[in-house]
Amino acid sequence: MQRAFIVGMIIAVLASVSGTFVVLRRYSMISETLAHSALVGVAVGLVAGFNPLWMAVIVAIFSAWLIEYLRSEFSLYSDAILAILLSGSLAAAVIIVSLGGAFNNSLFSYLFGSILSVSYEDVVTISIFGTMALVTLLLFSKELYFVAYDEEVAKTSGVKVKLLNFLLVSVVAIIIALSIRVVGSLLIGALMVIPTIAALQFKVGFVKTVMISLVFALISVFAGMTLSFHFSLPSGATIVLCVLFIFIISLIINRK
Amino acid sequence: MPMKFSVPIFSVRNLNFNIKGQKILSNISLDILASEYIAIIGPNGGGKTTLIRMLLGLDKPTTGEIKIFGKRLKDFKKWYKIGYVPQRASHVDSAFPATVLDIVKMGRTTQRGYFSSFSKEDKKLVHDAMQKMDVLDLADKMVGILSGGQRQRVMIARALASKPEILILDEPNTGVDMLSQKNFYALLKQLNKEDGITIVFITHDIGVIADDIAKLFTINQKAVICNDPKQILSCADMSELYGIEAHLLHNHKHEH
Repeated sequence: MQRAFIVGMIIAVLASVSGTFVVLRRYSMISETLAHSALVGVAVGLVAGFNPLWMAVIVAIFSAWLIEYLRSEFSLYSDAILAILLSGSLAAAVIIVSLGGAFNNSLFSYLFGSILSVSYEDVVTISIFGTMALVTLLLFSKELYFVAYDEEVAKTSGVKVKLLNFLLVSVVAIIIALSIRVVGSLLIGALMVIPTIAALQFKVGFVKTVMISLVFALISVFAGMTLSFHFSLPSGATIVLCVLFIFIISLIINRK
Repeated sequence: MPMKFSVPIFSVRNLNFNIKGQKILSNISLDILASEYIAIIGPNGGGKTTLIRMLLGLDKPTTGEIKIFGKRLKDFKKWYKIGYVPQRASHVDSAFPATVLDIVKMGRTTQRGYFSSFSKEDKKLVHDAMQKMDVLDLADKMVGILSGGQRQRVMIARALASKPEILILDEPNTGVDMLSQKNFYALLKQLNKEDGITIVFITHDIGVIADDIAKLFTINQKAVICNDPKQILSCADMSELYGIEAHLLHNHKHEH
């Protein structure tokens, strides 16, 4: 129980802070795609007997780089790239698991999230990678913010836009891979995007927006996990409904 | 100001730019020297913005050479010396979480380095830039709610915060009221005369600023360069003879 809450809070921080950049950069859909790519890693891990979380991180990063590469080298429609990789990954994950004869509760728990299955090993992995991801985001936050506001002006000011894009998607890939254990790959996108969208309704500056989004994510995860324990509901879905509730309240409060 | 025999800020030689076999710019050669105030006119679609984008490295020329402070674009590192205010400066995404201060601070991004925080010097430069553009009292306002004229001044304050040696403005006053425009031209003149900042200004209002500028480039696939400050208006007239619009010129003349 305590272990689950610690992991949940770490993920709330990671998802909301990275989510702010993802939303402002108009990359919202990338979180969905990477969450499904991470499942391929989970599938390989389950079948081959490696740590599924580590495999999820590796495959998600690879997928993030592939997306950025396709986007920058070929002028394909970027939303189409995301759609192709999303369903392609899910299909691959399902095939790998069923070939390995492991289509069971394990994969299911990664689809929808399950706090009970969080092991001590998971806590350590999530803490180490999570800290690295967060530090990276904070180090480059002013560059990422500038690029999100105006990519071309940032570029003409000497910001390495291409490098930053790769960095952002890599960090997001790591965070998503870490999060699917608790929130589930079908639902992590919501935890990344909705707290920021809710915070944007308050129309305040950048730092305040990040803080509000962070608080919203923490409240949602705490409330969601508490409710899921008491009423034995799936944790990921309960968390997402909590964050949706906060979003609707934010919309109503800030209605003109 | 003492005479300096310095390299041109920009030196363009035999520049050609084609898109899908269609000539956009043809055999352009020009220099932009330190402390000059240059206006660029020409019909829409004549290649003004394309030329600027190539100077800034946002588009690559098909053939020809561009040097910036004597260096090839890809070897140039000190991009903070170049301040760029793009055409869409007066239209921004109103939902973006940015106060005026957030935006002007962006101007310090690349000189702060990845690991350093906002120094006293950064603060002073941001403050000075905002003072110069008369936006200090707007510091905590959201950019989304500003008027076109205010937003324009904020964008220039951001460019000034990096202590640029040259300001490149691409018709930044579209959608700005007349009084704001007049103040804006006075400010540009002041930045050029008092602070010695080189100004390159794409405009349709050549009649209004003719007395301030030193050189006129008329861009319509080819470049016509007018070097004589006394001849600016007649140059613009000549350009018009060749089918290049300078529509506000007429209004200006009839007033006399």
